[in-house]
Amino acid sequence: MREQSSIEVSKKQKIKLVFTEIFMIVVAIIWFIPIYYLIVTTFKSPQEATLSPLALPSVWRIENYIDAWINMEYPRALGNTLKITILAVAIIVLVTSLAGYALARTKNKWGNRVFLLFLAGLMVPFQMNIVSLFKIVKSIGLMNSIWAVILVDVAINVPQGIFLFKEFVESSVPKELEEAAEIDGCSIFRKFFVIVLPLMKPVIATVVIIVTLNVWNEFMTPLLFIQSRQNDVILQEVSRNIGQFSTDWTALFPMLMLGVAPLMLFYIFMQKYIISGVAAGAVKG
Amino acid sequence: MRKMKKKNETGSLGHYFILFVLPALVIYLLFSILPFFYTFIYSFTDYSDIHIKGLNFVGLKNYVTVFNTSLMKVAIKNSLIYAVILTGFQVILGLPIAAVLNKKLKSKNILRAVFFFPAVFSSLIIGYLWNFIMSSSDYGLINNLLHRFGLETFNFFTADRALFSVIFTQIWQWTGWAMVIFLANLQGISPELYEAASIDGAGERQQFFKITMPLMCPSVKIIVVTGLIGGMKAFDAIYSMTSGGPGNATETVMTVMMKKGISDGFYAVGSAFGVCFFVIVLIISGFTNKIMSKWSESIS
Repeated sequence: MREQSSIEVSKKQKIKLVFTEIFMIVVAIIWFIPIYYLIVTTFKSPQEATLSPLALPSVWRIENYIDAWINMEYPRALGNTLKITILAVAIIVLVTSLAGYALARTKNKWGNRVFLLFLAGLMVPFQMNIVSLFKIVKSIGLMNSIWAVILVDVAINVPQGIFLFKEFVESSVPKELEEAAEIDGCSIFRKFFVIVLPLMKPVIATVVIIVTLNVWNEFMTPLLFIQSRQNDVILQEVSRNIGQFSTDWTALFPMLMLGVAPLMLFYIFMQKYIISGVAAGAVKG
Repeated sequence: MRKMKKKNETGSLGHYFILFVLPALVIYLLFSILPFFYTFIYSFTDYSDIHIKGLNFVGLKNYVTVFNTSLMKVAIKNSLIYAVILTGFQVILGLPIAAVLNKKLKSKNILRAVFFFPAVFSSLIIGYLWNFIMSSSDYGLINNLLHRFGLETFNFFTADRALFSVIFTQIWQWTGWAMVIFLANLQGISPELYEAASIDGAGERQQFFKITMPLMCPSVKIIVVTGLIGGMKAFDAIYSMTSGGPGNATETVMTVMMKKGISDGFYAVGSAFGVCFFVIVLIISGFTNKIMSKWSESIS
């Protein structure tokens, strides 16, 4: 008798679960409509997009993309964005892994003070300093150089990187391994690059993912420091063209799409790692 | 022997410590600490684009200007509204979505991916996209659909509504972000707690309020602090959707700082505004930290 009722309960729960699932799928479909709308509109003519905005395109026109590609000078803008992101991410991983490791292994008052100085950066929004950053970048002759964007983006992300690396070294890099290497006469930098760095893979992945999203989507630093079209990034091209082509609106959707496409691909292929990286970075940072 | 002792004092890295820390420290000092001090210094001078050399100390004059400029007060008010509403909805929507997607649903991975999707993109582009969706003209998706049902055009960008329309798009964009962080927290809660509770006869709702809510404190704190500060910094979505208009209806701290501090060349006033911004952010984080620790105290 008792068994039967527990079966009934679990059956009831199962049905409840199915309804929950259906409900969530409906919510997710509604949630996804804007992105679906963005994708299908890129293939439509203005008339078709107005007549049947949510239907699949009757003909998949790619002319819109070709125009957008040319008007945005896409290969150049993509190249600049890639250059900035790759260099910034590489520099951040290198300098914050070195510093985070040293701060984790140095238990004296200087180590502590330096760490607190970095930690304070988490409380200071860089945006409050745009006027002085503008002046500093100008006075050291980096205005209109992608290096201004790279270095400022690196500085913005240094505190979080150091925090994550320090935490990781303290919790998951065993000291015994390093001591063994020391006895074998390994130099200190060799020890870091050959033994410690490979152990840091999980946290490197977290930092790479978070910083890639931050730097790729950062609009204010290029807006401040890059004035010539030659050096500008995808986001600046999108905003420049939206101003120029505001009447021919279906021409603009492919530009938005080209603007998000690289990260969209990155997300589709790396979805699992991105979601867990974001969670790991936020929970610890 | 002496060498060993020295080494222990400075930690296992010895003098190499400075070499490891230096690269990060140099970039950080030059592009974070130095600008921070210059912002304070500039805020007490008469620095502007027509007065670049031989700066004079003017005391608190720039701060008085900030508090007497209605544009700047409106900007602070709007940023606060933006931050509070966005953060509130991130928690109110993100928590239940995370709780449901933590159940054994067959499609939970794809559902998570869908909700998180918008958070991957730049807010600038999300803003442009929603600008088209919310447009009052015939191609605006929402109004296009409204017309089909014989309804009247709904203008999303009137002075009263524009700010809330922008906030709405940002809720859509960032709820998935909050969900992911809540999920990570939920997965850290031991299932045994729920088993014990259901043996004791606690229903699902009771379990949610008695077990889930208290243990979710850490992630809620993260979302509230980062959400409020992130909301105060709002710029990209405003820039692409309204650029501060109509009138000053959607000006935020950052749109005004860009306009006054950079484009119009009021460097000193812009810096003073930056310092005010910093103080507001400090107050917000101090305040939320206090409230959150009270919350976790009252539960335990």
